Amino acid sequence: MSTLFTLNNLEFKDIDTTVVYTSSYNYLNDAIFFLHHDTEVITITSNASITDIPISILKEFNCLYLLTQTKLTKIDELKLSILKSLSSTKTIYVFLNVLTYLEPSFKKNIINYLKLHHKRIINYTQNMEETLLLDYIIVVHNDLVIMEGAKKSVLLEEKIFKKLGLNLPFIVELSIGLKYYGLISKIYFDNESLVQALWN
Amino acid sequence: MRILSNVTPGSLYGLMGNITLSTNNENYYIITDYKFSSSVKDYLAHPKSLSALKMVKLNETYLSKTIANLSPSEIKKVSLAKALLSSKKYLIFDYFDKDLTSEEQAYYLRLFKRLTTDYGKTILLFTNDLTFLWSTKTIYYVDNEGNITSYNPKDPALLDCITPPPLTEFINLLRSKNIKISDYYNSADLLKALYRIKED
Repeated sequence: MSTLFTLNNLEFKDIDTTVVYTSSYNYLNDAIFFLHHDTEVITITSNASITDIPISILKEFNCLYLLTQTKLTKIDELKLSILKSLSSTKTIYVFLNVLTYLEPSFKKNIINYLKLHHKRIINYTQNMEETLLLDYIIVVHNDLVIMEGAKKSVLLEEKIFKKLGLNLPFIVELSIGLKYYGLISKIYFDNESLVQALWN
Repeated sequence: MRILSNVTPGSLYGLMGNITLSTNNENYYIITDYKFSSSVKDYLAHPKSLSALKMVKLNETYLSKTIANLSPSEIKKVSLAKALLSSKKYLIFDYFDKDLTSEEQAYYLRLFKRLTTDYGKTILLFTNDLTFLWSTKTIYYVDNEGNITSYNPKDPALLDCITPPPLTEFINLLRSKNIKISDYYNSADLLKALYRIKED
């Protein structure tokens, strides 16, 4: 796997990556780096207007209601900012703790859209449920990389996450418990597979 | 902030919906922008600054720091310390749970409850994460037309308005497959229930 860029202790590889950080990490410094490295950086601050976005995109993402809103909320503006960015020719998208503000369906649609258009995604978050969205995870604590690797191996490190004060995603935590009780033989990362395994 | 005009003082409330917080009432303290320009010491400017910092889990070294030295999470905690030093009876938090680890979220919920019981504060937490609000007294939901409806935090009717949390989605999936299971609000209790069902 080739390296996209190296930022202090973080080496970003050419794979969709979630950066999970603890509270002492100032990811805003990373934003400055990304802005200088030809990436599409999405922050909570928005500068998009509804007129910037094609109707087809508004429709695809169930956002036609925004056309009739007299006053946009912070979340509406964030959605506009993301939808506007979809027309960018840049190939790397960096979400700086913004997906957590959006409803899961919108979030998944955006990720799917970017994957379909062969964009590389980097998502900074403290919302552990979002670690299920992308393939690779880097965990940062006090400016140091504590662990990194494929999602399905990193998320098995329950004790390390607990020490960092982070809960595992619900389905992983439940799977670990069910496996401990001998009800399943491996860890599952989505609801359907786990239910199937339990009631085969 | 129409909602607070009818609530019982000295309790913890939740607020959900696609809205932007605002108020002209000088009795209300909205903790929302999480920004300040001076040093932490000058921003807090209070004889009990250190006590307030300690309550939000920061130590005396933070007094000399400026916003440039702080992570978004730490900025949020300093904003909370500032709110604690105010004499306002009503504190309103805008997505305070974001940028916090699971462990910190649990700590601040305990702190908020202490502020309501020991100091008579009335606290309103605005977020899109229902799990953060399950222990509040009432959740107010504001729809796109501005109508306000109050719900018991565990009222299934609330789930018609918002996206269910992962745990609830999992229970809904089980029920869709005709597996009889009660409502649960943490994965440990759900795990025990699944064990019992499988044993039977």
